[in-house]
Amino acid sequence: MRIKTRGFLGVLLALYSAISFAVPTIQHWQTANGVKVYFVPTDGLPIIDAQLVFKAGSAYDKKQLGVAALTSALLDQGANGLTAQQIAEQLENVGAHLSTSTSRDFSAISFRSLTDKKVLKKSWETLTQVLNKPDFNLADVQREKKQTLLAIKGREESPGIIAQLALYQQMYKKHPYANPIQGLNKTVEAIKVSDVKAFYQTNYVAKKLVVVMVGGISRQKAEKLVDTLVSHLKPGVAAMPLPAVSKLGKAVFVHKDYPSQQTHLMYALPVMANNDPDYFALTVGNHILGGSGFSSRIVKEIREKRGLAYSAYSYFHPMVQQGPFIMGLQTRNEKVAEAIKATKKTLHSFIEEGPTEEELKAAKNNITGGFALRLDSNKKLLANVAGLVNSGLPLDYLNTYIENIKTVSIKQIIDAFQRRVVQDNMVMVTVGQPLSVSGQ
Amino acid sequence: MKKSVITLFILSVFYLLVGFSAVDKPGNIVHEKVLENGLKVLVKEDRRAPVMVSQVWYKVGSSYEYNGITGLSHVLEHMMFQGTEQLKPGEFSKIIAANGGRENAFTGADYTAYFQTMEASRLEVSMKLEADRMQHLKLQEKEFVKERQVVMEERRMRTDDKPQAKAYEYFKAMAYVTTPYRNPIIGWMEDLQSMKLTDLADWYQRWYAPNNATLVVVGDVKAENVFSLAEKYFADIPEVPFETVREFKEVDQVGIRRGVVKQKAKLPYLLMGYHVPSLRTSVNDQDAYALEVLSGILSGGNSARLPANLVRGEQVASEVSVGYDLNARLSTLFLFDGVPAGEHSLGDLEKSVLDQLALLKKNRVTEQELARIKAQVIAASVYEKDSNFYQAMQLGMLETVGVGWQKEQEYVAKVKAVTAEQLQKVAKKYFVEDHLTVVYMEPQALNSEKMVKQVGGSQHAN
Repeated sequence: MRIKTRGFLGVLLALYSAISFAVPTIQHWQTANGVKVYFVPTDGLPIIDAQLVFKAGSAYDKKQLGVAALTSALLDQGANGLTAQQIAEQLENVGAHLSTSTSRDFSAISFRSLTDKKVLKKSWETLTQVLNKPDFNLADVQREKKQTLLAIKGREESPGIIAQLALYQQMYKKHPYANPIQGLNKTVEAIKVSDVKAFYQTNYVAKKLVVVMVGGISRQKAEKLVDTLVSHLKPGVAAMPLPAVSKLGKAVFVHKDYPSQQTHLMYALPVMANNDPDYFALTVGNHILGGSGFSSRIVKEIREKRGLAYSAYSYFHPMVQQGPFIMGLQTRNEKVAEAIKATKKTLHSFIEEGPTEEELKAAKNNITGGFALRLDSNKKLLANVAGLVNSGLPLDYLNTYIENIKTVSIKQIIDAFQRRVVQDNMVMVTVGQPLSVSGQ
Repeated sequence: MKKSVITLFILSVFYLLVGFSAVDKPGNIVHEKVLENGLKVLVKEDRRAPVMVSQVWYKVGSSYEYNGITGLSHVLEHMMFQGTEQLKPGEFSKIIAANGGRENAFTGADYTAYFQTMEASRLEVSMKLEADRMQHLKLQEKEFVKERQVVMEERRMRTDDKPQAKAYEYFKAMAYVTTPYRNPIIGWMEDLQSMKLTDLADWYQRWYAPNNATLVVVGDVKAENVFSLAEKYFADIPEVPFETVREFKEVDQVGIRRGVVKQKAKLPYLLMGYHVPSLRTSVNDQDAYALEVLSGILSGGNSARLPANLVRGEQVASEVSVGYDLNARLSTLFLFDGVPAGEHSLGDLEKSVLDQLALLKKNRVTEQELARIKAQVIAASVYEKDSNFYQAMQLGMLETVGVGWQKEQEYVAKVKAVTAEQLQKVAKKYFVEDHLTVVYMEPQALNSEKMVKQVGGSQHAN
């Protein structure tokens, strides 16, 4: 088979057409004790996914760094008199999954079960026990603490994690985001059972909770399930607003020696909080700069042109308060200076000149054309709905998303990047073997 | 990021959690067509969302390589994005992106696979591009030199700077003597350094042919339409005559093997593995399915024996898990890996694992435990329907390793048929000291970390 170049591309581009995709409607209600519930019924699969998200991440640790993560990890390690083993058996006897996680802003319980009546009764009952009646027995707390302490030690053998921890420290200084989610050796050692119980009492309350459910059940059933799950939670007090993030006044360069073959490089500053007015301009801009793999400038410059790294990227991570914009890569130690120069230059010219018309068009085609891929499974729907409601975005966010992307202009991107991504205030961290590394 | 090496170890751990699907469920019909040139096309229609995934699987991977050319399959996978007679380097990716698609590729020991996920009407774009690079790849020196650097960086990132990954590499090289699984998928650094463009050209000529490939499409598509598009774009690609691929067999292990791997690290790490058959190499399927269930009994979920007894009970491990790759093309290893907890040593953890195996040999597992594993497998066979990608992956992998995609449809029934008696029997048969390899990864002190901090200075590129 022989194809002429023109014809080849012609056919491919002619296929492009506008996409019509029905965005699912998000149903919303609030329980008597103040829990916000978001539900998307789906057809086709007898599965229910749920995510219980508390505004109780490590940013609420106060002085006891690591207490949020430890509390979260302990929920399914003993509840209502059941041991960790019994809890695990109750779930796994019916093939259900339950896991807990903690970020800087949130602590979450994720749950997946079949919707078969008997199965769901048992799995949901277990979820309810874990949420409402964790025991925090001394033996379990001690064991989890030991695990956490080992994990803290383990992160010291990863140059990537060392770089990230140093980066957050430099970006956030005295702000709670500066601290590692799992805490520090000495703070975790000092956590007592009573501290965990106190954290649970204050933070696992109705007013800090958002429940997101996606799956093959009726609205009526969903309401009933949520009532069983949360009606006994105390209303509590809504989360205190986190402090605002201070502006960085100057550029900072930090290098840490590590005996690795590669140097990990990260270049960042705090930029965007949830529901930011510049969100679409910055997001589309970043898609072109470093958010779209091979199509992005940073990959072209670092990987395709220079062969400096396997992975090079940039992203905005919106958080409750200003989350970071991060550029990063890993390169063999002797190439660090070249990689630093190329990274800074790529960002600099993007801020100055913005994307080309062609780049902007390609980015919009990719984002809008791939929109359906972001919502094509229950798991992805759950993640998207949880993401948007916890960011305080309007419920029609997904319905208006494509329009919002389409209206972004080159001028808006340049303007947003120039105001928000100030290179003179950025932090650069390198971790690796020292070879006349310099931030200049 | 792009282009991953999937290690068997990770895959097999993942595997048990997800299982396969039952034969009689609606929406589980696989349509098959083989073109005259030998290309096998498999289609599963799933209309839940207006999207599709298209994957092309080649029967080649690191286990087809031999000493001196390790890593070749994976570097070739990278080069498949670097231009054809019609397309410039990177243009493949550009076209997929312009059509709203996501794409990637992965190389394993037994396969190399390429995929695009796209809005369903874009299927033709992906077919046309894959057909093009199946026959018209343009291997260029400049791109090769750069891509080899990229792969070396990938190797440093994934293996050389990761103490546990590095220990696993040494472990495999010790546990396997004659099986090519002894070599890393990404290749040894020495081999990457000496690799030439002509090696890649030979490898491409040898393995990239329709009669060595499987096209799998899952999503909002019609099977008939997929077949006719496949005819349109792939049918003219000539088939390539193949010699029978030589079947490597592992030389008998006649005594325990022990090794120490020293790494700059903080935590010690234990690796243990027994030689066992895979589904393809087991004399009767039953042993393989019994091993699959045993891996579930030991580490399939939080209630399984290793977390129950070693992490919580004795607290000798902070983490410990089992890996068994039912779908390996060649005979494989039943693996254990773990990190000792508290004051416990690697020796303590090894002993505790061996105690658990002795128990499996001595007493039958309870019916309750067995029922729990089966319940998990059944539930997982429903959960996996939530992912087109995963469903396509199962079909492509089974076909590519040589057991046939039909095995996907038997999986749940086969697992359900496993008895406690069989489990005891395979435990006795395979968990034999003479067939065991043990590696202790012993952490060496890191240099004291110095920190240099500079403030201010020019932040503009120059």
